Amino acid sequence: MSRQHADVPYGTLDLLVLKTLETMGEMNGYRIARRIEQVSGDALKLSQGAIYPALIRLEQEGWIRARWGISETNRKVKFYSLTKAGRKQLEAEVRKWEQANALVARFLEAAP
Amino acid sequence: MTWRGRIARLLALVRGRRLDRELDAEVEAHLEMAERDARNAGLSAEEARWAARRRFGGIEQMKEEHRDRRSVRWIETGLREFRIAVRTLGRAPGFVIVAVLTLALGIGATAAVFSLIQGVLLTPPPYADPARLVLIPSARTGGRPQEGPRPWPAAQWLEWQREAKSVQSIAAYRWMFDFLILPDGVESFEAMAVAPEYFSVVGLEPVLGRKFVASDTTPSAAPVLIIGYELWQRRFGGNRNILGQSVRVSRRNTPVEIVGVMPPGVRFLPAPNVAQEPNYDVNALVDIWVPFSPGSDAAELKRPRWHVVGRLAPGFTPGQAQAELALIAGRQARADPDFAGFTPRVESLTFEYNRDGERILHPLFGAAALVLLIACGNVAALLLLRGLGRRQEYAVRAALGVGRAGLFRQASTESLLVALAGGALGAGLAFAAVRAFQLIGGHAIPRLDAVTTGWPVLLFGLGLALIAATLAGLLPAWRAARLDPNEVLKGAGPKSTAGRGERRLLRAVTVAQTALTLVLLVGAGLLIRTMINIAKAPSGYHTSRILTMSVTAVQMSEAGFHRRALERVQALPGVERAAYAWGVPLTGNNWPMRVIIEGQPVPASAKEAIELPLRSITPGYFGMLGLSLIEGRDFRSNDDEHAPPVAIVNQAFAGRYFPDTATLGKKVWLLGPDKPYCTIVGVVADGRTDDLTRQAAPEIYGSFWQYPAYSKHMLIRTRAEPLSMASAVRSALREVNPNAAVEHIKTFDQIRNDSLAGRTFAMRLLVGFSMVGCLLTLVGIYGVLSLSVASRRHEIAIRAAIGAERRDIRTLILSDGLRLIAGGVAAGLAGALVFSRVLRSFLYEVEPNDPPTLLAVAMLFIGVALLACWAPARRATRVDPMKMLRCE
Repeated sequence: MSRQHADVPYGTLDLLVLKTLETMGEMNGYRIARRIEQVSGDALKLSQGAIYPALIRLEQEGWIRARWGISETNRKVKFYSLTKAGRKQLEAEVRKWEQANALVARFLEAAP
Repeated sequence: MTWRGRIARLLALVRGRRLDRELDAEVEAHLEMAERDARNAGLSAEEARWAARRRFGGIEQMKEEHRDRRSVRWIETGLREFRIAVRTLGRAPGFVIVAVLTLALGIGATAAVFSLIQGVLLTPPPYADPARLVLIPSARTGGRPQEGPRPWPAAQWLEWQREAKSVQSIAAYRWMFDFLILPDGVESFEAMAVAPEYFSVVGLEPVLGRKFVASDTTPSAAPVLIIGYELWQRRFGGNRNILGQSVRVSRRNTPVEIVGVMPPGVRFLPAPNVAQEPNYDVNALVDIWVPFSPGSDAAELKRPRWHVVGRLAPGFTPGQAQAELALIAGRQARADPDFAGFTPRVESLTFEYNRDGERILHPLFGAAALVLLIACGNVAALLLLRGLGRRQEYAVRAALGVGRAGLFRQASTESLLVALAGGALGAGLAFAAVRAFQLIGGHAIPRLDAVTTGWPVLLFGLGLALIAATLAGLLPAWRAARLDPNEVLKGAGPKSTAGRGERRLLRAVTVAQTALTLVLLVGAGLLIRTMINIAKAPSGYHTSRILTMSVTAVQMSEAGFHRRALERVQALPGVERAAYAWGVPLTGNNWPMRVIIEGQPVPASAKEAIELPLRSITPGYFGMLGLSLIEGRDFRSNDDEHAPPVAIVNQAFAGRYFPDTATLGKKVWLLGPDKPYCTIVGVVADGRTDDLTRQAAPEIYGSFWQYPAYSKHMLIRTRAEPLSMASAVRSALREVNPNAAVEHIKTFDQIRNDSLAGRTFAMRLLVGFSMVGCLLTLVGIYGVLSLSVASRRHEIAIRAAIGAERRDIRTLILSDGLRLIAGGVAAGLAGALVFSRVLRSFLYEVEPNDPPTLLAVAMLFIGVALLACWAPARRATRVDPMKMLRCE
């Protein structure tokens, strides 16, 4: 991950993409990026382009699948959707995230 | 990272272009959608476009990251370097062709000899764990010389089998020769007679059927044999129903049943006591095994007729085994004087197996490696020169921020590419060379038939290419990397001349090449002198227009066959004369006899007897070979079993045993003191019958009709080319006896050439290698001197301007060249003094440091090399001082 996206915690983008596809079903890259922006409000400073390296990687791992479709501007564009393996991966990531969160939270709340 | 992901990333390497296109389409669609949304939000068209761009972020950075994440970075970078190198090399086809061909010659030579080494030396015999197998020959006790190889009596090795701890198992074998009588003809075969446990000791499992068992050797057992894979394929078409079939063997009255087939590639174990047999070929594939047991007869158990092979117990060395066996054998000798005088030696089978091959292949491999080094030198020089021409380019790149590592990588990628191409082409050359070796080297190298070319040779060639790339490419790449861009860019225009540093490097390379070439040339020169010396050596007989073949009456009962066959062949048109001989010169055949000679002390025991080779011949043999009778008479055809035995001896015999008295009429006992003696009736001129490089030793000739031999040659002196008579002779013999075996048809000249095959092969290869080396080095000298002239044009112009004649300038350049050459030649001669020793066993009447050879080779090379300097020197004299100096 290169420097200009440092504000997106490492590895989180994958999780966000997977979660978005789970919630919204099939979407193209632009819509995924927009959705992540909307959900996070202004909290996340993400260049929309950063979505594409994440997408190709997820596709290569077999967690999402892409098919060519037609965009609202009448162009050929890839539509992504979650695969079965992707759903499992999402569950695993969510669990990992929650565990890590809980651990950190416990540390932060721990009385001196 | 999952496997699926890894595979996808590898695939992305080859699908890169397509993935890029798809990404472009997505990005475009993305921007369009973003723009539309922005316009819908109320921005102007212009603003909307910029907003979309801004929100997207850096497109090129993203693409770069996309590429990085989707594939394997280092491969991707490597491929890019590779593509750049291919493109750059493509712009200099001349350089590429010369460099690739040069390396291909070096790599081809080395890989070709390597494939011989791989097939002959590195391929172990097909036994289980062959490293633990040992041969156990005998030596005389007390370091006394042994007159001939002596096998072991069964009584001795049977005890070793029981007692030795260092040798896990022991088996005995003998060499045999016989004829297979098949419906479609008679075929001779070599066989091993083996103790039943033999196969378990060496670790051979049959591919079909069974091994021998102890009950196969009982007197009442049905006779059985096991055949070799090659015989099975050749004669029985690989038929799996062969088991249980019977074959007829000439010296057995009952048919013999085939009970097993052994795996392919099994060759004989040495049986040196029968090495004089005409059909003995230790490197042949075994066709037949027959079971043998020493039996229980006390006298038979004491007869020394067995060779012994053993398997070392785990953890024991041959030395330890030898010590233990020597101890047992010493005890045996004290208990029974019949066993005295001999002690076992233990030798690794692999050592014995590879000895002859190593003797010739190691020096040749060294020579090939020298050719490769010379080739690397040339390519290094070429790369250095190329680097000079590209200094500007490198400097610009360096100035643009390509690091030293980058420049180094670029330069070394190019040399690697050239080397790999050279390696692939070289492996191809090696394949062809191996075919050629097999055609010309059949008798020079044992087991040459087993040599195959394939992946190992190709891989070896590519491995050599890597070494060559390192050797030739490292220096030029290093020079490229440590280039100072400031220095170069300040200099005026693209320079093709070399600085002092480069010139010194190039000269060093050329001196080294010259030295290596000299080493090769001296080796070739020594072998050429050897061949000339052998050709001049007085063999005592001539070999031209003589056809030879082994002729055997397979059914021994046919007594009259030999005489009738001889008469029949003599009567053929085109035949001048025919004779039988047991012990044709240069075949290694003879009949070692313990003889008692009149006037010499009668030996106390058989062991002390004089052992001399007997050759058994028919009348006319001497005349046919041009061996003249000094005194007495030739054999007559009635010197047969009804006449008193007679013998003819050679001059060496007469000189040794009857120096002062007449030789004719003296008596010789060939078969023992209690048997009838022979009278010497003639003395014949000496001939070098064993080896053309050895003086004639005493020998005895017997009359073939008195000393008939089962295996023997028929020699036919023809009027025309001998081989043209072969089929006529064969059919004449078949008419006399359809079952007669007529084999090994060769001219006497071929026999002579075969006896020199090792030397001829080594000579041809060395001459070839040194020619290639010479050519490459001359090209190198030419190149260096041309460069030197180009760099010194300025100096030459000034010299010319202040009055130097053309002749002076020519002398200047030629002496520069001469210094270069002389340095290399001096180093090379020093090297030759060291390396030529490895050829010692091939040389005849010439020492490895033979001064005339060294001198001649040095002068010859200097002469030819000066020719290579001529063109640059001429070019130097053409420098026009006015033009040159005005340019500055």
